[in-house]
Amino acid sequence: MSTEKIEVKEDKTIKELVGEMSLSSAPILLELDGEIFYPDENYDRKIQAGNRLTVIPIIAGG
Amino acid sequence: MRRLNRVFLYDDGAARALKIEEIAKYLRKKLIKVGVEVRGNPFAFYLLQDKVSDYARKIASIKIQDATKKWSSEQEPLYGEIEYGKKMILGKTRASGVLYDGLELQRLFFEVIPGRERSLQFVHIVFSNRLFATWDEHERRYHARVNLCGIPSIISTTGVVEAPAKPRGYYLLRQQYEMLGKDLLELKNSFKGAFIDYEDLRLTEVMKGYAMQSVFYSLVGDPFCQDKGCRLYNAHWQEELIFAQIESEYEFCQRHMSFLEELNEY
Repeated sequence: MSTEKIEVKEDKTIKELVGEMSLSSAPILLELDGEIFYPDENYDRKIQAGNRLTVIPIIAGG
Repeated sequence: MRRLNRVFLYDDGAARALKIEEIAKYLRKKLIKVGVEVRGNPFAFYLLQDKVSDYARKIASIKIQDATKKWSSEQEPLYGEIEYGKKMILGKTRASGVLYDGLELQRLFFEVIPGRERSLQFVHIVFSNRLFATWDEHERRYHARVNLCGIPSIISTTGVVEAPAKPRGYYLLRQQYEMLGKDLLELKNSFKGAFIDYEDLRLTEVMKGYAMQSVFYSLVGDPFCQDKGCRLYNAHWQEELIFAQIESEYEFCQRHMSFLEELNEY
Protein backbone atom coordinates (compact mmCIF):
# COMPACT_ATOMS: atom_id res chain seq x y z
CA MET A 1 0.00 0.00 0.00
CA SER A 2 1.34 3.44 -0.87
CA THR A 3 -0.06 6.97 -0.50
CA GLU A 4 -3.43 7.41 -2.17
CA LYS A 5 -5.33 10.59 -3.04
CA ILE A 6 -9.09 10.47 -2.71
CA GLU A 7 -11.86 12.95 -3.37
CA VAL A 8 -14.71 13.03 -0.87
CA LYS A 9 -18.06 12.49 -2.64
CA GLU A 10 -20.38 13.64 0.14
CA ASP A 11 -20.22 15.31 3.55
CA LYS A 12 -19.20 12.93 6.32
CA THR A 13 -16.98 12.52 9.35
CA ILE A 14 -13.46 11.13 9.38
CA LYS A 15 -14.78 8.12 11.28
CA GLU A 16 -17.32 7.40 8.54
CA LEU A 17 -14.68 7.80 5.85
CA VAL A 18 -12.18 5.38 7.39
CA GLY A 19 -15.02 2.93 8.09
CA GLU A 20 -16.17 3.00 4.46
CA MET A 21 -12.61 2.49 3.27
CA SER A 22 -12.08 -0.36 5.79
CA LEU A 23 -9.14 1.53 7.23
CA SER A 24 -10.27 1.78 10.84
CA SER A 25 -7.64 -0.66 12.07
CA ALA A 26 -4.93 0.23 9.52
CA PRO A 27 -1.96 2.34 10.64
CA ILE A 28 -2.45 5.47 8.55
CA LEU A 29 -2.22 9.24 8.60
CA LEU A 30 -4.48 11.56 6.64
CA GLU A 31 -3.59 14.80 4.90
CA LEU A 32 -6.21 17.48 4.29
CA ASP A 33 -5.39 20.98 3.07
CA GLY A 34 -1.74 20.51 3.97
CA GLU A 35 -2.49 19.34 7.51
CA ILE A 36 -1.46 15.82 8.50
CA PHE A 37 -3.23 14.08 11.36
CA TYR A 38 -4.07 10.72 12.90
CA PRO A 39 -7.66 9.79 11.95
CA ASP A 40 -8.47 8.19 15.32
CA GLU A 41 -7.75 11.51 17.06
CA ASN A 42 -10.08 13.33 14.67
CA TYR A 43 -13.03 10.96 14.29
CA ASP A 44 -15.65 13.70 14.75
CA ARG A 45 -14.02 16.08 12.32
CA LYS A 46 -16.30 16.86 9.37
CA ILE A 47 -15.14 16.70 5.79
CA GLN A 48 -17.08 18.00 2.85
CA ALA A 49 -17.89 16.83 -0.66
CA GLY A 50 -15.05 17.91 -2.90
CA ASN A 51 -12.37 17.76 -0.20
CA ARG A 52 -9.25 16.00 -1.36
CA LEU A 53 -7.55 13.79 1.17
CA THR A 54 -4.33 11.86 1.01
CA VAL A 55 -4.19 8.53 2.80
CA ILE A 56 -0.64 8.00 4.07
CA PRO A 57 0.03 4.43 5.21
CA ILE A 58 2.59 3.82 7.93
CA ILE A 59 4.92 1.11 6.64
CA ALA A 60 7.09 -1.18 8.76
CA GLY A 61 10.22 -2.89 7.51
CA GLY A 62 12.71 -5.53 8.57
CA MET B 1 6.90 12.09 -7.49
CA ARG B 2 6.77 14.56 -4.62
CA ARG B 3 9.19 17.45 -4.21
CA LEU B 4 11.27 17.29 -1.06
CA ASN B 5 11.97 20.38 0.96
CA ARG B 6 14.32 19.21 3.69
CA VAL B 7 15.58 16.14 5.55
CA PHE B 8 15.93 16.28 9.33
CA LEU B 9 18.00 13.68 11.18
CA TYR B 10 17.49 13.09 14.90
CA ASP B 11 19.41 11.03 17.44
CA ASP B 12 17.27 9.34 20.08
CA GLY B 13 20.22 7.72 21.85
CA ALA B 14 21.22 5.68 18.80
CA ALA B 15 24.17 3.28 18.98
CA ARG B 16 27.58 4.85 19.54
CA ALA B 17 28.84 3.24 16.31
CA LEU B 18 26.33 5.27 14.30
CA LYS B 19 27.84 8.35 12.71
CA ILE B 20 24.84 10.54 11.96
CA GLU B 21 26.96 13.31 10.44
CA GLU B 22 28.31 10.77 7.95
CA ILE B 23 24.74 9.81 7.01
CA ALA B 24 23.89 13.50 6.58
CA LYS B 25 26.90 13.87 4.27
CA TYR B 26 25.78 10.83 2.27
CA LEU B 27 22.23 12.18 1.92
CA ARG B 28 23.56 15.56 0.75
CA LYS B 29 25.42 13.76 -2.02
CA LYS B 30 22.37 11.75 -3.05
CA LEU B 31 19.86 14.60 -2.76
CA ILE B 32 21.80 17.47 -4.24
CA LYS B 33 19.03 20.05 -4.03
CA VAL B 34 17.53 19.06 -0.69
CA GLY B 35 18.84 20.50 2.56
CA VAL B 36 19.86 18.01 5.24
CA GLU B 37 19.95 19.09 8.89
CA VAL B 38 21.08 17.17 11.99
CA ARG B 39 18.94 18.05 15.01
CA GLY B 40 19.96 15.86 17.95
CA ASN B 41 17.43 14.29 20.31
CA PRO B 42 13.88 14.96 19.04
CA PHE B 43 12.35 15.39 22.49
CA ALA B 44 15.15 17.59 23.73
CA PHE B 45 14.99 19.58 20.47
CA TYR B 46 11.28 20.36 20.62
CA LEU B 47 10.16 19.99 24.20
CA LEU B 48 10.20 22.63 26.86
CA GLN B 49 11.86 21.46 30.07
CA ASP B 50 8.52 21.20 31.91
CA LYS B 51 7.20 18.71 29.34
CA VAL B 52 10.07 16.24 29.71
CA SER B 53 8.37 14.43 32.60
CA ASP B 54 5.11 14.13 30.63
CA TYR B 55 6.86 12.53 27.70
CA ALA B 56 9.02 10.31 29.90
CA ARG B 57 5.75 9.01 31.36
CA LYS B 58 4.18 8.55 27.92
CA ILE B 59 7.22 6.66 26.65
CA ALA B 60 7.30 4.44 29.73
CA SER B 61 3.64 3.59 29.19
CA ILE B 62 4.18 2.20 25.67
CA LYS B 63 6.57 -0.50 26.79
CA ILE B 64 5.57 -4.00 25.68
CA GLN B 65 5.53 -6.37 28.62
CA ASP B 66 4.41 -9.50 26.79
CA ALA B 67 4.98 -9.94 23.03
CA THR B 68 1.77 -11.98 22.76
CA LYS B 69 -0.46 -9.25 24.24
CA LYS B 70 -1.41 -6.13 22.33
CA TRP B 71 -0.47 -2.84 24.00
CA SER B 72 -3.26 -1.11 25.89
CA SER B 73 -3.50 2.59 26.71
CA GLU B 74 -4.50 1.68 30.26
CA GLN B 75 -0.97 0.52 31.05
CA GLU B 76 0.41 2.45 34.05
CA PRO B 77 4.18 2.91 34.15
CA LEU B 78 6.19 2.55 37.33
CA TYR B 79 8.03 5.48 38.91
CA GLY B 80 11.42 3.95 38.04
CA GLU B 81 10.39 3.54 34.40
CA ILE B 82 9.45 7.22 34.16
CA GLU B 83 12.76 8.27 35.71
CA TYR B 84 14.58 6.05 33.25
CA GLY B 85 12.59 7.65 30.38
CA LYS B 86 13.63 11.11 31.60
CA LYS B 87 17.29 10.12 31.62
CA MET B 88 16.95 8.86 28.06
CA ILE B 89 15.36 12.07 26.83
CA LEU B 90 18.11 14.08 28.50
CA GLY B 91 20.76 11.84 26.93
CA LYS B 92 21.99 10.54 30.29
CA THR B 93 21.42 6.88 29.44
CA ARG B 94 20.63 4.64 26.49
CA ALA B 95 17.70 2.24 26.08
CA SER B 96 18.43 -1.42 26.62
CA GLY B 97 16.33 -4.53 26.93
CA VAL B 98 13.01 -2.72 26.57
CA LEU B 99 10.57 -3.37 23.74
CA TYR B 100 8.23 -0.56 22.68
CA ASP B 101 5.05 -0.48 20.60
CA GLY B 102 6.45 1.07 17.41
CA LEU B 103 3.27 2.80 16.26
CA GLU B 104 2.77 4.42 19.66
CA LEU B 105 6.40 5.49 19.80
CA GLN B 106 6.05 7.06 16.37
CA ARG B 107 2.90 8.84 17.52
CA LEU B 108 4.82 10.43 20.40
CA PHE B 109 7.50 11.67 18.04
CA PHE B 110 4.77 12.99 15.71
CA GLU B 111 3.22 14.95 18.60
CA VAL B 112 6.39 16.92 19.24
CA ILE B 113 7.00 17.86 15.58
CA PRO B 114 5.47 21.31 14.95
CA GLY B 115 2.42 21.29 12.64
CA ARG B 116 4.23 23.42 10.03
CA GLU B 117 6.82 20.66 9.62
CA ARG B 118 4.36 17.76 9.48
CA SER B 119 4.48 17.23 5.76
CA LEU B 120 5.80 14.61 3.37
CA GLN B 121 7.93 17.36 1.86
CA PHE B 122 9.93 17.23 5.07
CA VAL B 123 11.62 13.91 5.75
CA HIS B 124 11.99 13.43 9.49
CA ILE B 125 14.23 10.49 10.40
CA VAL B 126 14.77 9.44 14.00
CA PHE B 127 17.67 7.08 14.68
CA SER B 128 16.98 5.34 17.94
CA ASN B 129 18.47 2.49 19.89
CA ARG B 130 15.03 1.66 21.27
CA LEU B 131 13.83 -1.72 20.08
CA PHE B 132 10.31 -1.45 18.73
CA ALA B 133 7.80 -3.87 17.31
CA THR B 134 4.47 -3.88 15.50
CA TRP B 135 1.49 -6.05 16.34
CA ASP B 136 0.56 -8.79 13.86
CA GLU B 137 -3.18 -9.35 14.03
CA HIS B 138 -2.99 -12.76 12.30
CA GLU B 139 -0.20 -14.21 14.40
CA ARG B 140 -1.44 -12.40 17.54
CA ARG B 141 2.04 -11.33 18.52
CA TYR B 142 4.55 -8.50 18.12
CA HIS B 143 7.33 -8.52 15.54
CA ALA B 144 10.51 -6.54 16.11
CA ARG B 145 11.24 -4.07 13.32
CA VAL B 146 14.20 -2.21 11.87
CA ASN B 147 12.22 0.76 10.60
CA LEU B 148 8.80 2.30 10.60
CA CYS B 149 8.15 4.78 7.81
CA GLY B 150 5.77 7.62 8.61
CA ILE B 151 6.06 11.06 10.16
CA PRO B 152 8.67 10.72 11.44
CA SER B 153 10.32 7.57 10.13
CA ILE B 154 12.03 5.71 12.96
CA ILE B 155 15.07 3.50 12.42
CA SER B 156 16.29 1.30 15.25
CA THR B 157 19.98 0.55 15.67
CA THR B 158 18.92 -2.28 18.00
CA GLY B 159 16.26 -3.49 15.56
CA VAL B 160 18.86 -3.88 12.83
CA VAL B 161 20.61 -6.44 15.08
CA GLU B 162 17.52 -8.15 16.48
CA ALA B 163 14.79 -8.01 13.81
CA PRO B 164 16.20 -9.60 10.64
CA ALA B 165 16.77 -13.31 11.18
CA LYS B 166 20.33 -14.54 11.68
CA PRO B 167 21.62 -17.62 9.79
CA ARG B 168 19.60 -20.78 10.61
CA GLY B 169 22.74 -22.52 11.86
CA TYR B 170 23.20 -19.80 14.46
CA TYR B 171 19.84 -20.53 16.11
CA LEU B 172 20.43 -24.30 16.07
CA LEU B 173 23.82 -23.92 17.69
CA ARG B 174 22.54 -21.35 20.15
CA GLN B 175 20.07 -23.91 21.50
CA GLN B 176 22.93 -26.35 22.00
CA TYR B 177 25.12 -23.70 23.62
CA GLU B 178 22.32 -22.74 26.00
CA MET B 179 21.61 -26.36 26.92
CA LEU B 180 25.27 -27.03 27.60
CA GLY B 181 25.78 -23.69 29.36
CA LYS B 182 28.52 -22.70 26.92
CA ASP B 183 29.69 -19.13 26.32
CA LEU B 184 27.43 -17.46 23.73
CA LEU B 185 30.17 -14.97 22.90
CA GLU B 186 32.17 -17.86 21.48
CA LEU B 187 29.21 -18.73 19.23
CA LYS B 188 28.85 -15.13 18.11
CA ASN B 189 32.53 -15.03 17.24
CA SER B 190 32.21 -18.14 15.09
CA PHE B 191 29.53 -16.30 13.04
CA LYS B 192 31.45 -13.01 13.01
CA GLY B 193 30.50 -10.92 9.99
CA ALA B 194 27.44 -13.01 9.13
CA PHE B 195 25.11 -10.58 10.88
CA ILE B 196 25.11 -7.00 12.09
CA ASP B 197 26.00 -6.96 15.76
CA TYR B 198 25.91 -4.29 18.47
CA GLU B 199 28.37 -1.45 17.81
CA ASP B 200 29.18 -3.06 14.45
CA LEU B 201 31.54 -0.95 12.37
CA ARG B 202 29.28 -1.52 9.33
CA LEU B 203 26.30 0.08 11.08
CA THR B 204 26.61 3.56 9.55
CA GLU B 205 26.92 2.12 6.04
CA VAL B 206 23.83 -0.05 6.61
CA MET B 207 21.85 2.87 8.02
CA LYS B 208 22.48 4.99 4.92
CA GLY B 209 20.24 2.58 3.02
CA TYR B 210 17.52 2.70 5.68
CA ALA B 211 17.66 6.50 5.62
CA MET B 212 17.11 6.31 1.85
CA GLN B 213 14.07 4.08 2.44
CA SER B 214 12.59 6.94 4.50
CA VAL B 215 13.46 9.38 1.71
CA PHE B 216 11.69 7.24 -0.91
CA TYR B 217 8.70 6.83 1.38
CA SER B 218 8.20 10.60 1.25
CA LEU B 219 9.20 10.87 -2.38
CA VAL B 220 7.06 8.16 -4.00
CA GLY B 221 4.99 6.72 -1.15
CA ASP B 222 6.77 3.37 -1.10
CA PRO B 223 10.06 2.85 0.78
CA PHE B 224 10.83 -0.59 -0.65
CA CYS B 225 12.08 -2.32 -3.78
CA GLN B 226 11.83 -5.95 -4.90
CA ASP B 227 15.41 -5.94 -6.19
CA LYS B 228 17.62 -7.76 -3.67
CA GLY B 229 20.64 -5.70 -4.70
CA CYS B 230 18.93 -2.33 -4.18
CA ARG B 231 19.38 -0.51 -0.86
CA LEU B 232 15.60 -0.23 -0.69
CA TYR B 233 15.14 -3.99 -0.42
CA ASN B 234 13.10 -4.89 2.65
CA ALA B 235 15.45 -7.50 4.12
CA HIS B 236 14.04 -10.04 6.58
CA TRP B 237 17.31 -11.95 6.91
CA GLN B 238 20.67 -10.60 7.99
CA GLU B 239 22.23 -12.15 4.91
CA GLU B 240 19.83 -10.19 2.65
CA LEU B 241 20.45 -7.00 4.62
CA ILE B 242 24.23 -7.25 4.32
CA PHE B 243 23.96 -7.98 0.62
CA ALA B 244 21.57 -5.08 -0.14
CA GLN B 245 23.44 -2.53 1.96
CA ILE B 246 27.09 -3.56 1.64
CA GLU B 247 27.92 -6.30 -0.84
CA SER B 248 25.74 -5.48 -3.85
CA GLU B 249 27.61 -4.12 -6.86
CA TYR B 250 25.17 -1.25 -7.18
CA GLU B 251 23.42 0.97 -4.63
CA PHE B 252 20.08 1.41 -6.33
CA CYS B 253 18.26 -0.43 -9.07
CA GLN B 254 17.73 1.32 -12.41
CA ARG B 255 14.21 2.41 -11.51
CA HIS B 256 15.11 4.03 -8.21
CA MET B 257 18.27 5.52 -9.67
CA SER B 258 16.14 7.30 -12.25
CA PHE B 259 13.89 8.73 -9.50
CA LEU B 260 16.98 10.21 -7.87
CA GLU B 261 18.23 11.63 -11.15
CA GLU B 262 14.86 13.24 -11.76
CA LEU B 263 14.80 14.71 -8.25
CA ASN B 264 18.27 16.16 -8.68
CA GLU B 265 17.35 17.73 -12.03
CA TYR B 266 14.61 19.97 -10.59
